[in-house]
Amino acid sequence: MANTNPSQLLPSELIDRCIGSKIWVIMKGDKELVGTLRGFDVYVNMVLEDVTEYEITAEGRRITKLDQILLNGNNIAIVSKSYL
Amino acid sequence: MSTGGEKGSTTTKTPADFLKSIRGRPVVVKLNSGVDYRGILACLDGYMNIAMEQTEEYVNGQLKNKYGDAFIRGNNVLYISTSKRTLADGA
Repeated sequence: MANTNPSQLLPSELIDRCIGSKIWVIMKGDKELVGTLRGFDVYVNMVLEDVTEYEITAEGRRITKLDQILLNGNNIAIVSKSYL
Repeated sequence: MSTGGEKGSTTTKTPADFLKSIRGRPVVVKLNSGVDYRGILACLDGYMNIAMEQTEEYVNGQLKNKYGDAFIRGNNVLYISTSKRTLADGA
């Protein structure tokens, strides 16, 4: 019952629901990542799989593909389910 | 309360699991400055402090330096990646 009330939903539960699905991570400073969330911890460090990293540079957009990463939670600004 | 990722599912892999699984493997470490370090991961801890061997320093995708042994302080680390990787430049 408490779980049906959105105001009782912990932020970490929201991320927990994303485990196994594609998520979109917006970092501080012109960097974004899309990948499958495998797990996270209390600092919101994340293990991501099949990652595409987008860096906005002066020369344009640089795309990097990565197999599996541990992303430092320090610079994460926004996390959302990806519909890409 | 959930500490995150404790679902018992086979696909779940917490940061602690990841750290355990990659010791001795070839990795790419990207720093907040954008510099990449590729090498063999010798040792690491929960702060993401890292000791690497046969380290190559890449700035803007170009090899700039080599280090036999390198220590990276964890606060500079953006991510640690397993080594299989391809590069592409978009418009």
